[in-house]
Amino acid sequence: MTEQEIIDRTNKVFEESFEIEPERLVPEAHIFADLGLDSLDIVDLIVALQTSFGVKIRTDEKVREIRTLGDVYRFISAIKNGGQE
Amino acid sequence: MFCCNIFRRYMKRYDNIVVGSGISGLTMTLLLAMNGRRVLLLEKGTHIGGSLCRFRKGQLSFDTGFHFTGGLNDGGILADILGLLGLRDMIEPLFIEDSSENRFIFESTGRSFEHPVGFANVKARFREYFPSESTAIDAYFDAVQSVCSRTPSLNIHDNLIAPPNLEEDYISLDAVLKEMTPDPLLRGLLSGYAMCYGVRPDEVSFANHCRMVQNFYESIAFVRDGGDGFIHAFKEKFKGYEVDIRCSTTIAELAEVSDSRVHRFVLSTGEEVSADSCVFTIHPSQVLSLLPEKQYSRAFASRVNGFEPSAGFFSLFARLKPGAASRTKSSIVSLFPDPDVNNLLDPEWGGTPALVIITSPDAPDPDGGKGICILEPSFPRHVAQWSDSRLGSRPEGYREYKERRVSAIREHLCSVFPHYLEGLEILDAGSMLTYKDYLNSPDGSAYGVKQKMRQFNMIGRLPLHNLYAAGQSALLPGVIGAMMSSLIVGRSVLGKDEYGRFLGRAA
Repeated sequence: MTEQEIIDRTNKVFEESFEIEPERLVPEAHIFADLGLDSLDIVDLIVALQTSFGVKIRTDEKVREIRTLGDVYRFISAIKNGGQE
Repeated sequence: MFCCNIFRRYMKRYDNIVVGSGISGLTMTLLLAMNGRRVLLLEKGTHIGGSLCRFRKGQLSFDTGFHFTGGLNDGGILADILGLLGLRDMIEPLFIEDSSENRFIFESTGRSFEHPVGFANVKARFREYFPSESTAIDAYFDAVQSVCSRTPSLNIHDNLIAPPNLEEDYISLDAVLKEMTPDPLLRGLLSGYAMCYGVRPDEVSFANHCRMVQNFYESIAFVRDGGDGFIHAFKEKFKGYEVDIRCSTTIAELAEVSDSRVHRFVLSTGEEVSADSCVFTIHPSQVLSLLPEKQYSRAFASRVNGFEPSAGFFSLFARLKPGAASRTKSSIVSLFPDPDVNNLLDPEWGGTPALVIITSPDAPDPDGGKGICILEPSFPRHVAQWSDSRLGSRPEGYREYKERRVSAIREHLCSVFPHYLEGLEILDAGSMLTYKDYLNSPDGSAYGVKQKMRQFNMIGRLPLHNLYAAGQSALLPGVIGAMMSSLIVGRSVLGKDEYGRFLGRAA
């Protein structure tokens, strides 16, 4: 999966599942401060990303390190293309 | 505005509202009340208790949702929870003491496996049953203990809402057992208690299986008066605290929402009350339907709507006639026609279903007859075609379905225990629709939502931040899981310092 495909599909999750306007979806956007998610939304974000990308995501340290949308792209890319779970 | 202000002045104020009065709601209510909170407990049905409620048929009482439990031994988790709530002396466990009183019969091989009391004894007995598999058996029991010791939610002193975080949360029971042993019969025996949580071995995480079965290996007990025994104890205990109970009452609307908090709760009676927070112990789908749509993300809705129902049971409530009753001790007997529990809990499976036969330790009726409950796994699809019909006006086809199940179960039972042919008098039968109607469950399932591997349950704070979710769909199914969910979420509601002081006082 190309980086652009990952970006597009991740943005789609934020648009469709959290109703965030596309123009706010820039890599440096902080998912809490800028996009308005709260800690309770993380579980829903994980479930939505799992469904959209057909991957299995563990709620380990790496998830807790996510701060920006760019972190989400890199996180998915590592799972999708890095052969990790 | 004038009118509104006047109304608010007289609006009754509580510290907390608890919705649903099953074991989780009762636990939550008592925990909060014992910590000085003024609590309003709401119950949709006409009396409190939810699936704990028994019903009477003739001279006998039958349980609906609660039949037996683990964890009541000294040092057991349920004994600890009851101790914390000051209920330990009010609920009398009736332990299964003889291994013959808890057994699994694998009909395809004719072999019967008894479960002695105590973790070490079960392990030793299983090693006797499968001498060539002792390495696998040791590995399995070691793993069960290891998972439980690494699970904070199983510790009432340090219980946190934590997402699944063990390696074993990400591998299925089925996968672990297949790795451990090539023997399908041993795999069937080790996964047999899946009947007590209603999820297939290939869908449940190994970790959750361990969390649920460890207590069963340690001890199994009935309770004096069954589920009613719990209800009576809670009712008695409530008397010392500020608890208002309203039956036949639900929340109709969460009104006046601002800053992600609900300020006014409109009840189905029209009355309005205010409270700092509200804990829902009802089914997640019913919680979702109450939340104002613009207060949660589509991702949240889609997660909750994705929950599937756990297995339910088609149940026969019967009387053992005096002759047969005198030969039958209180016991739990599981009949498995197929050793693969994946099949037995598969809605699509076409083979003979499993049966769990529970003879309660209740006193016999005046003529010497005893109550016996026979459960056959069932799934929503079995009754889907009649799910829109109403109690009292179900179509003929539904009645025929029930009759078919009753005679099939009877035939199955008598093929293994011929003395039931003459000795069993069937008093009543309940399908998943019966459970749905009488227990106010949206699907009639026995264990709430199916807790599948990689699933994130609805637990703790909801998108409106003074609303919380607990219950048997929140953490783990069954009495222990439901009560633990209330302690964990209760700790959030009270704050960890206050909860800590409470633990200190109770110790």
